Amino acid sequence: MPPKKVAPARSPAPAQDTVPFWLRNRRELTFLILFVVLLAAGFTLISINWVNDHAVEPFTAGIARVSGGVLDLLGQNVRMEGTVIRSPRFAVNIRNGCNGIEAMLIFLAAVLAFPASWKSRLAGLALGILAIQVVNLVRVVALFLTGVYFPRIFDTSHTVIWQTIVILFGVLLWIFWANRFAAPPPKPAT
Amino acid sequence: MGAAPANPAKAPRRGWTFLFIRNAVLWLLPVALLWVLAAPVYNRFLLGSAENLVRLTENPDATNLLRKDDHFAYVARRDFPPAKSLVYSFRVTDVHFHLVMLGALFLAVPGISWRRRLASLGWAFLITIFFDIFLIFFYVKFAYATRLGAWSLAHYGPFARNFWGLGKHLLDLPFKFSLPFLLWAAFYLPDLMAEIRPKEA
Repeated sequence: MPPKKVAPARSPAPAQDTVPFWLRNRRELTFLILFVVLLAAGFTLISINWVNDHAVEPFTAGIARVSGGVLDLLGQNVRMEGTVIRSPRFAVNIRNGCNGIEAMLIFLAAVLAFPASWKSRLAGLALGILAIQVVNLVRVVALFLTGVYFPRIFDTSHTVIWQTIVILFGVLLWIFWANRFAAPPPKPAT
Repeated sequence: MGAAPANPAKAPRRGWTFLFIRNAVLWLLPVALLWVLAAPVYNRFLLGSAENLVRLTENPDATNLLRKDDHFAYVARRDFPPAKSLVYSFRVTDVHFHLVMLGALFLAVPGISWRRRLASLGWAFLITIFFDIFLIFFYVKFAYATRLGAWSLAHYGPFARNFWGLGKHLLDLPFKFSLPFLLWAAFYLPDLMAEIRPKEA
């Protein structure tokens, strides 16, 4: 009796081919969409006049006061006028864009959008925002000193160099947090 | 720069993050120098492209984007009296300084081939070019809708003024600042996730 022909066992198709793209990259896509939504919501919120007047402006004035205090310690003999830091040789007005809020909101959106435990998120937010504000303080002080001693490069330093440094710092901080401390919550058992 | 450990299995757990941050910092200066050199040429390209895009929305064509020097530009309207034709000015170089961060972030990723690194950077750069053209388009529309007094009120309603105003605000601050990170995450988040996945076990 001739041996029965047996259909060759079908090899299982690679998972990559059967699982749709959006399902295969569900966590990554969720992160990207959440990040964009949170970012837009955050920046829309701070663009509302009431929020700007009651939260952003006082926060910015606080940053100006602390920066003025540090500059005084460095012997710059400054005086404060609201959000303006003035010395006999130079004056800067700390405005939106100089208060670190942009970097904070980008960091906040990235931390909240990333799959991690709430404990990790809250710890990351507290320490991250503090670190961003420290770097921003260095920026304001450095920019003031640039205006006093190297006024020709003040504009470039203000809009290009320090903006890049502060935002890049926030991004690198987030990558550090995500890699080291943001242990994602375990997947539910199937 | 950009070197990866020969055998990732033998590398300590913090290796990827440490290498990435170190590489990003090291790449920052060379990328910034390249950007400074290329900025005048890129500004010219952006203004030409954005002018064409603005004119697609006009009938008849009335907008000129004029270079003031290597870094600044004027928005000019041909249908205004010559003395008032320059209606808005902005620093074009400020539109695209995020390219420095984009370059540093994409070139810093450790443990991947140069082919993949450069291909990802190329795609990200292409997307960023479109974003930059679109941002200048929003600058122009924002100026028309909100900065020209009675002319703005006559040609743009309350919804349009808010749309162009909020659109310019969102594109110019959060999305301009975060675009490099967003693109980096789109290309490399799976790598970052793979790095932290062992912690889940």
